[in-house]
Amino acid sequence: MANQSGNAYALTALFPILHGVPTKCPEGMEGQTHTACVRHLLQDVLRVSEDSPMARVPDTYLSRFCILLDVPYQGAPTVLEHLKSNYLVFEVNFHGTLEPWLAGMWKAIEPEVRSLLQNCYGFDKVTDCASFIDYVKKCQIETTFFFEGSTDEPVAVQLKNLYLKQEFSHFVFANQGKSAAELKAAFEEFVARTQPDNLEAPTWRPGAYQLETATVGRKVMGAGTQ
Amino acid sequence: MSNIAGKAYAMNVITPMRWYTAWITRLIFFVASKRPATTIGLITLSLIHYARWVIIEANQFPHVNDDQPKEELKYTYMMFFSNFNGSWDQYVDSFSSAIPDGLDLFWKLNIRYPKSVPMLPFHKYITSNQIWSDHYYNAYPMAASNDVKSAKKVSGALAAFIADTKNSGADEFQQKYNKLVLGLQHDVSAMGPNPIVSLSAWAVEKRLVEESMAAAGGGL
Repeated sequence: MANQSGNAYALTALFPILHGVPTKCPEGMEGQTHTACVRHLLQDVLRVSEDSPMARVPDTYLSRFCILLDVPYQGAPTVLEHLKSNYLVFEVNFHGTLEPWLAGMWKAIEPEVRSLLQNCYGFDKVTDCASFIDYVKKCQIETTFFFEGSTDEPVAVQLKNLYLKQEFSHFVFANQGKSAAELKAAFEEFVARTQPDNLEAPTWRPGAYQLETATVGRKVMGAGTQ
Repeated sequence: MSNIAGKAYAMNVITPMRWYTAWITRLIFFVASKRPATTIGLITLSLIHYARWVIIEANQFPHVNDDQPKEELKYTYMMFFSNFNGSWDQYVDSFSSAIPDGLDLFWKLNIRYPKSVPMLPFHKYITSNQIWSDHYYNAYPMAASNDVKSAKKVSGALAAFIADTKNSGADEFQQKYNKLVLGLQHDVSAMGPNPIVSLSAWAVEKRLVEESMAAAGGGL
């Protein structure tokens, strides 16, 4: 199955967006179509980076939403054709297998999922996690070829590795030319501070894009952890 | 709208193909999946986190409700999604320059595909068929694909080194440390934020600067 490469999974789903105007719509979007409401939610309501709802979905490497309004035309003499519905395209790369990951998504961000997918055909039949998983599977398109150019470890492992790489790089730069005894002592302090075996802390926060706020559980002298 | 999340760029491209050539392209992908040498160029370029090709036949667009109109399409479509490091131009040009044959192998049967060389028609083909992302999330915006791979090596080497030097004296420790650093010289480097984290974040930061300047009475 091309959806899976090692422990990495490639989910592609096309959710058909309802025609017409919703009865309940976000503030300021009265009279706008379902498609416009979906775009508004994605662009103006959902926050980005570490505040993105996808940062709360366990084991998500990268994900995106986009809207397919129509199929592209390549010019005469090819056939000009149109889609009859707009589609919300959901593309995500994650660690693990489909059903547990979707269950994690439902558990972590059900309100955001509902606000988006209530604009799509068939979502009115979704009542719980199990029916959500069934719904996504109905809208899933099988991947033909999946190229994994990174690693397929759990995200917590990747983030801890990145934290260690960053900290060890600084350690190497800072401890050049030290005596053997000084170096050993400094490294022991480094291990105590970075806790290489502890995936929970200190580590990088999912989606963090600034060094100042990236590390969670960092030991600060005299101030416990941050 | 943002195709950028830190050091990653999200590219979405959809292109039509005829149903019978779609099956040949499926066969090409199948062979590529069985022969890793086919993707050695992609691996060597080393700027992709994850990428996928998805062939969707005319009757495979999801139809989930009776009141949803059924699609009546003639063509099959190939969707391409990539998460790569660098700018759009760097990505497209590096493909075109470094692995034109591999690129053409996957796309050559698509309708009106111009080939990846020369670059200008290829650029036009991609831009004409690209869809912009409305929300893009990246778990590690400060890391390139190479950083993620290097971090795995650093972490693994550190774990082995810690176990190996548990009972070492200072001189032995230093010898092993020097060997560790020598072995990791391609993987030790500090990461930092991208100048533009996302177009959305950039717009917010710009607005905050404008607001703080206005509050200070400076204006722009």
